[in-house]
Amino acid sequence: MSHAATTVPGHDQSHPELGFIRRYVFSLDHKVIGIQYIVTGLLMALVGAALATLIRLQLGWPERTWPLLAQLLPKGYAGGVMAPEFYLAVVTMHGTIMVFFFMSYVLVSGFGNYLVPLQVGARDMAFPLANMLSFWIGALSALLMIASFFVEGGAAAAGWTAYPPLSAVATAVPGSGMGQTIWLLSMAFFIASFTLSGLNIVATVFSVRAPGMSMWRMPLTVWSYFIASILGLLAFPALTAAAVMLLFDRHAGTSFFLPAGLVVGGRHLTNSGGSPLLWQHLFWFLGHPEVYVLILPALGIACDIIPAFTRKPIFGYRLSVWCLVAVGALSMVVWGHHMFVSGMSPFTGEYFSIATMTITLPMTVFGVNMLASLRGGAIRMGVPMMFSCAVLALFGSGGLGGLYLGNATADMQLTDTYFVVGHFHMMIGGVTLMATFGGLHYWFPKMFGRMMNETIGKAHFWLTFTPFFIIFFMQHFLGIQGAPRRYYAFTAYDFLRETRIQNLVVSSCAMVLIASQSLFVVNFVWSLFRGAPAADNPWEATTLEWTTSSPPPHDNFGQAELTVHRWPYEYGVESGDRDFADQRVPPGRVPVTA
Amino acid sequence: MSTQTSVFHSSTVALLFAGLGLGGAWYGASIVMPSLASRHGAGIDSMLSYLLVTTGILFVAGYCALAWFIWTGARRRRIDQRLTRRRTEWLVSGALGLAVGLIAEGGVLAIGMPVWSEYFDATPPADAVTVEITAQQFLWNVRYPGADGQFGRNSAAAMDDVSNPLGLDRADPAGRDDVVTQNVMAVPLGRAVRLRLRSKDVIHSFFLPNFRVKQDIVPGMTPEVVFFPTREGSFEIACSELCGLAHYRMRGFFDVLSPAAFDRWLAEQATPTAGGPR
Amino acid sequence: MQLALEPELSRREETVRLGLWMFLATVAMLFAAFASAYLVRRGGSDWMRINLPPVLWLNTALLVAGSGALEAAHAVGARRRWLSASAACGVALALGVGFLLGQLVAWEQLLSAGVDMPESPHSSFFYMLTGAHALHVVAALGVMLWTGLLTWTGAGRRQPRRWAAAMHSTRTIWHFLLGVWLFVFALISLY
Repeated sequence: MSHAATTVPGHDQSHPELGFIRRYVFSLDHKVIGIQYIVTGLLMALVGAALATLIRLQLGWPERTWPLLAQLLPKGYAGGVMAPEFYLAVVTMHGTIMVFFFMSYVLVSGFGNYLVPLQVGARDMAFPLANMLSFWIGALSALLMIASFFVEGGAAAAGWTAYPPLSAVATAVPGSGMGQTIWLLSMAFFIASFTLSGLNIVATVFSVRAPGMSMWRMPLTVWSYFIASILGLLAFPALTAAAVMLLFDRHAGTSFFLPAGLVVGGRHLTNSGGSPLLWQHLFWFLGHPEVYVLILPALGIACDIIPAFTRKPIFGYRLSVWCLVAVGALSMVVWGHHMFVSGMSPFTGEYFSIATMTITLPMTVFGVNMLASLRGGAIRMGVPMMFSCAVLALFGSGGLGGLYLGNATADMQLTDTYFVVGHFHMMIGGVTLMATFGGLHYWFPKMFGRMMNETIGKAHFWLTFTPFFIIFFMQHFLGIQGAPRRYYAFTAYDFLRETRIQNLVVSSCAMVLIASQSLFVVNFVWSLFRGAPAADNPWEATTLEWTTSSPPPHDNFGQAELTVHRWPYEYGVESGDRDFADQRVPPGRVPVTA
Repeated sequence: MSTQTSVFHSSTVALLFAGLGLGGAWYGASIVMPSLASRHGAGIDSMLSYLLVTTGILFVAGYCALAWFIWTGARRRRIDQRLTRRRTEWLVSGALGLAVGLIAEGGVLAIGMPVWSEYFDATPPADAVTVEITAQQFLWNVRYPGADGQFGRNSAAAMDDVSNPLGLDRADPAGRDDVVTQNVMAVPLGRAVRLRLRSKDVIHSFFLPNFRVKQDIVPGMTPEVVFFPTREGSFEIACSELCGLAHYRMRGFFDVLSPAAFDRWLAEQATPTAGGPR
Repeated sequence: MQLALEPELSRREETVRLGLWMFLATVAMLFAAFASAYLVRRGGSDWMRINLPPVLWLNTALLVAGSGALEAAHAVGARRRWLSASAACGVALALGVGFLLGQLVAWEQLLSAGVDMPESPHSSFFYMLTGAHALHVVAALGVMLWTGLLTWTGAGRRQPRRWAAAMHSTRTIWHFLLGVWLFVFALISLY
């Protein structure tokens, strides 16, 4: 029997001219799907940022009334004052949208879809149809989440962690009516969408790499997506299970998470024997790996940007890969550090504390490798490089904050305070945001064939990173002063009176941060149509996507035979008038060093 | 972009990181925690101080190294050294990784765990003041067992927000001398405090910032907390787990009084309606 | 000519197999999550066992027989005896539908005995686990129907390689769901 597919998959596909709908809406092309994800994610980020504005207006100026907002949002701002239930819904939706519909979409599904096939030399994803399905299920889930603002009682208000009984009992908080149900359904769709896209990434990395592209020749970006996708696939089902059980508790009268003897708002519930802690275990079994699903690709992206701007190979490539693997494995067994004071056994707390601290080792090694990659380089401080340095900086400070929270004894005072808020914003908020901006500036020419504006980009960096750092660095110390998170105002307590000025500074910086994102929007849209035309390899980089045209053709690499001969960090070599050799340069022309 | 402006631009970025590192440390050093008022809290504070010092040094060192590499890198035309030997890579990163790992793990094992075990393993002394806290949206029901040291029976079925928020069984003789208050509690200085925590509706978290006490109250569970106040004063109770609309003002008062003042206070609370809510 | 039972796989076929197994791994994680919740919840003071309807044993037998019929269909199809293969596919499909109907009967029996979902945590888990499993079986029946259509319409004869790939996926999924069912059944009857 002859082999049907000896050529690279997708290579033998014919490309008849497709109509607009098939090309840009229901496209099977991983590049289009990737860009669809990125655009959807960025639009969701605007929603998330608008919600952040409302949060910071309330916390910075708790006594003020907002007549304009009262007109725009008559329900949430009756009489010009933000309603507490609206505040909680806004906080919940800000977290949910930013974690799941901005970061996961742009960074994991968006860049992952766009980059992984290009960087491993594949013509498309392993399962293009599943990929398209993934995007449309994902878009549906995002729309559903937005729609929950408009139902009776408003959007879910039990926090993005949705702890029952608050999230299980409709009368516990207004958002726990229809809003919470939609939240759970939307999460189920999100997980289905993520599963399809994760399967695709893993299968693509496993089995559709170009000839010569061994695992040890994959860029760190691909490695990070590979590990992150495996993590997601293994961890997400736990939330599916938990969401199904919570839906039954809410609508079928079961008692998975609801104990006996609840009296909510004077009403006696008939449930018995359920365990609210069970939800927390299931949620964090997903939730902790999820933060690595977000942060690993961010680190991978920065690791691929840095060498192109230092003109020097990355430091400790293999070591970094092992760190990614180790962190991925460890992240599955440390979820309990979110629950030190939840009432679980103190011995379990000791285990989770010690296990969590072991993550320090691979993560520090990874960070040191990134830092050492800058040493001795001939640095060109382009916009992608600026944001990559910001990734490194926030990863460092956020990681050090993790030492406090993973430590059960310190966590006793700091858990559920603004220290936590500051910490996770630095990590899954900041590292990922900086990597998103760095990655967009870096790959924009590949995606759209035009360069983004360098001057606006630099201004945007200064006005984004600086306030971002100040906001979330200060929030760590608000936590040390004891300020609990998810508070509608800090006015009710004497011990929080001194945080007044800090909250004012944080809110002011937040306004600068959010307003300056208009620079990015302008830059993005303007460059899309008016940017300087981009060369195929504007950054003189080595990975495979830069060896094809900008933007790449439908099958990524045209008819040319694609063979990989070297690792992705061949910088600083003699290659004619160039100081680098891309992965396709044969060993005869430039010696292979790894 | 000309080389000169490029060097200038990179240098400003280097200075930004150095400035944020040094400025951050300066700001951080100026922050104080809520004043300490419990014995085990000293252990938690030393854990935090250890972390603030070690991570503070690592933070400043890291940001300055980043700034230095950018500063010098921007002035370099040719790279210094292309590849490092793999053994050197493992040694450098491995050593630094191990060092930070040891700082973290060492802190947990040497300082953290003893405090943690002392706090959770503490058997309440015989003279400990036992208080039952029943959290509900959005207040703290406080109950003292009274002279007999026994709490009267109560049940969820009998709970009524207006007439009997704790669902007390009025027929139980052990409950006759129980003292019930809302949002206000006091303890005498010099004795251990033993709190029995319960919740009627959703998860709350009993947070005494000055005492370094924080315990989630998951409905269906009755966690206990034991600690020793070290000074007299009036302190605040906060809820630190999202519990609904008025989470941000679920405020209680926790007074540490002299033994005599405490007895007076308890007697005052008991007189109006013994065994029932006020 | 006889098709080799395990012909050398093309890269595409390998990829599909890999993707399928990874998907099944996520399904396994889903049921693992349900199972760990079950074991935790079992410690609750209100845990009360319900009497499981005996029809579940018959359903188990149907599911096992379905696996057997699929194996038979695969074996005769590989020898290019398409008529027998068509028949075996039909039998497997009927057994699968039979399993689903049998599960409905089990639900019906429990409900008419007054045991509904909120009755006890055990019954909650029973309905949820059987329901989740049944949904997966419905999807698997869709895949099986596809393979059946390939067999019945003669597409398998014209493209034996395509048929073998579809058959392989169907068998993998069905055997996997049989395994999940045995696990679920053991869990709810023994613990």
